[in-house]
Amino acid sequence: MPELGRAALVVTLGLVLYAVLAGGWAAARGRRRLALSARNALVAAFCSTLVASLVLWAALWRHDFSFTYVSDHTSRKLPLGYSLAAFWGGQEGSLLLWLLILTGYCALAVWLTGRSARGLVPWVVPVLGLVASFFAFMLVVVSSPFATQLAPADGAGMTPSLQNPYMLAHPPLLYLGYVGLTIPFAFGMGALLSRQTDERWIVATRRWTLSAWAFLGVGQLLGAHWAYTEIGWGGYYAWDPVENAALMPWLAATAFLHSVMIQEKRGMLKVWNMILVALAFCLSIFGTFLTRSGVVNSIHSFSQSPLGSWFLGFIVFIVVATALLIWVRLPLLHARTKLESLASREATFLYNNLLLVAFCLTILWGVMWPILTEAVRGTPSTVSKPYYNFFLHSFGLPLLLLMGIGPLVAWRRASLRALGRTFLVPFGVALAVGVALLAAGAGSSLPGLLAYTFSAFVAASIALEFTRGTRARRSLADESWPGAFASLIARNRRRYGGYVVHAAVLMLAIGVAGSSAYQTVREQKLMPGQSMTIDGRTLTYRGVQQRQASNAQEFRAVVDVSIGGGHVTTLYPGKNVYPVEQQTSNEVSIYHDWRNGGDLFTIADQIDKSGAVYFKVLVKPLVNLIWLAGFIFVGGSLIALWPDAAEQRRLAARYAPEAAVA
Amino acid sequence: VSRKRSPARLVIALSVAAVLGVFLLYTSIAGGGTPSLRPSQLAGHAGKVSLAGRVVGPVTGDAHAAGLRFRLRDVKGTAVVPVVYHGTVPDPFRVGRDVAVNGTLRNGVFVAERDTLVTKCPSKYTAKKS
Repeated sequence: MPELGRAALVVTLGLVLYAVLAGGWAAARGRRRLALSARNALVAAFCSTLVASLVLWAALWRHDFSFTYVSDHTSRKLPLGYSLAAFWGGQEGSLLLWLLILTGYCALAVWLTGRSARGLVPWVVPVLGLVASFFAFMLVVVSSPFATQLAPADGAGMTPSLQNPYMLAHPPLLYLGYVGLTIPFAFGMGALLSRQTDERWIVATRRWTLSAWAFLGVGQLLGAHWAYTEIGWGGYYAWDPVENAALMPWLAATAFLHSVMIQEKRGMLKVWNMILVALAFCLSIFGTFLTRSGVVNSIHSFSQSPLGSWFLGFIVFIVVATALLIWVRLPLLHARTKLESLASREATFLYNNLLLVAFCLTILWGVMWPILTEAVRGTPSTVSKPYYNFFLHSFGLPLLLLMGIGPLVAWRRASLRALGRTFLVPFGVALAVGVALLAAGAGSSLPGLLAYTFSAFVAASIALEFTRGTRARRSLADESWPGAFASLIARNRRRYGGYVVHAAVLMLAIGVAGSSAYQTVREQKLMPGQSMTIDGRTLTYRGVQQRQASNAQEFRAVVDVSIGGGHVTTLYPGKNVYPVEQQTSNEVSIYHDWRNGGDLFTIADQIDKSGAVYFKVLVKPLVNLIWLAGFIFVGGSLIALWPDAAEQRRLAARYAPEAAVA
Repeated sequence: VSRKRSPARLVIALSVAAVLGVFLLYTSIAGGGTPSLRPSQLAGHAGKVSLAGRVVGPVTGDAHAAGLRFRLRDVKGTAVVPVVYHGTVPDPFRVGRDVAVNGTLRNGVFVAERDTLVTKCPSKYTAKKS
């Protein structure tokens, strides 16, 4: 069996190399049939990678410990779901998953690309093949998942912190996002190589970018929820390098998603979009490098592995090649129009881009800081939470505000008088909310107060957009309010899907501000029968319960929660002791208060033999808005992604080959 | 026409400069982060550092009372420094693990800041051949 896996990977490597060489030759010389065969090689590469993946999955399923990978990451007692999820539990498997998704995407992308961008495909194929070649090469030569050994009696098992349902969804979702950014990158480079530098590559990859970006966003939110409910320190994001590794490409992709709209509408920012798409792609590779190389210390640190230098080499190659290509094609990347006014939609998009990229680069700087300081001073230095929080406030809050301004400003040039009329309502709402919050005592945190006031502004402006649109439709088509609302969204999916995503980001901001700026923390050691109070809630510790589970011994502190004498709930924070893995894990207990969206978060930090427990308790207002935002985010993305026949017809007419000639 | 578009360019250039200014201002005021050192490099560092090393027993005391006491050794070396720590102790913490903790050296004892102890990768995440 392992031979089959190895052979399949070698075949994949051969196929993708063929796609690069034959595809490149065919594109340069205009050989149609050869280009087609290179394209088909990509599809075949997906099939052979799938074979290799199935071999690994079968081995995981059968607990075939003669596979080193299987014995390193699973054990006989591990439930089947986690055994299969061990596919992405280690380095070799993760690389294979990357290649599987990449070749799958490649096959789909060359298959699905409509007539409008068909001229690009011959050039896209070698670029995609090149990226796939790197991963196939790593899997064949450097880090094979099919290494074998004399089968031991049992495997090493899976780290307890990975044994939860999030393990099934979070890593693959992130990979779907990371890898998905390859497609717009390849089309961008294909456009440069083929000299077809109009908007076609952007139109052809809009849904690819959007879905990759949505996967990346949802994957991160799931990771945050995982950290919140399972790791149990009371937070959901720690600015850890590996978390930042996913945030950076997401920010770059967010900037890209916005700036391509300017290119589509106004023909500007052509160079900038190329740079952004390359940045997003490089950051996604860099993220894998960061995660897998152990070059920066992280709580996620998987291993010190030989992969680092290969990845670094690949990133350097991509950066240099992309920069050169953009440089050579600069004469073709002239803007059709110029920025006419600073009070215009384009200008707000520019500021949005500036802030997103600035935030992204400051994070990158923080992540790289230990490496840079070690190179210069000899000893590495690290930056931590205050550094990142400072830039989150100074770049994130203006971004939030822009989210409310941008959609209401006209394209090209907005008159100041019209602006004043448009912003009267949102501005009034924001002012009222700000004053009310100040009176309610929210002034204890300036960033929190600003975040809430800005959020009110954005919420009002989004509501205004929806009412204006619905009213216009109603008067146009004589529909009922709900009917007009539905057809408004259905006819402008991209725009109103975008507003729904904005609403999700808004909820995220409110949740983050509430749970970080206005949280309360109390720590206290309690004997059975003793109580503590936090924020009006009384917690009474009753004693420790013990239970023997299949693979762990569970200790739970029983805590009764009451407000004003009335019993609310009973919480069971505690610890699990895993004898096989010789580890303990914290098991937090959370009470969700759905009336105000807040959580009561309890941690049994230390359980003494005497029965005394050291409790850490947090009250986190509005934190559940963060998770709710995830659902709305998915909903908005789906609206924007949903196939739109009218749009397709419009695009087909616009980019038809005859039109290009005429 | 070229005169007309110059203010736009100017404002954008100024915005880029403002962003850069915010960045430089912060880094110059807050300094260059916390140096991370090994026990053998501690001598002579008076300020706050992040100390990385391997836990050496015996581990005594209570992190939520008088303090948890243990020693940290260079991962590749023999230099050892005693540590006193308060706050949350991560689950994987035990003798032989590699950890990092922030604090300052006072009279030969590394006094750790509250809740800054982090454990580095348990080797279970990967093969242990190398």
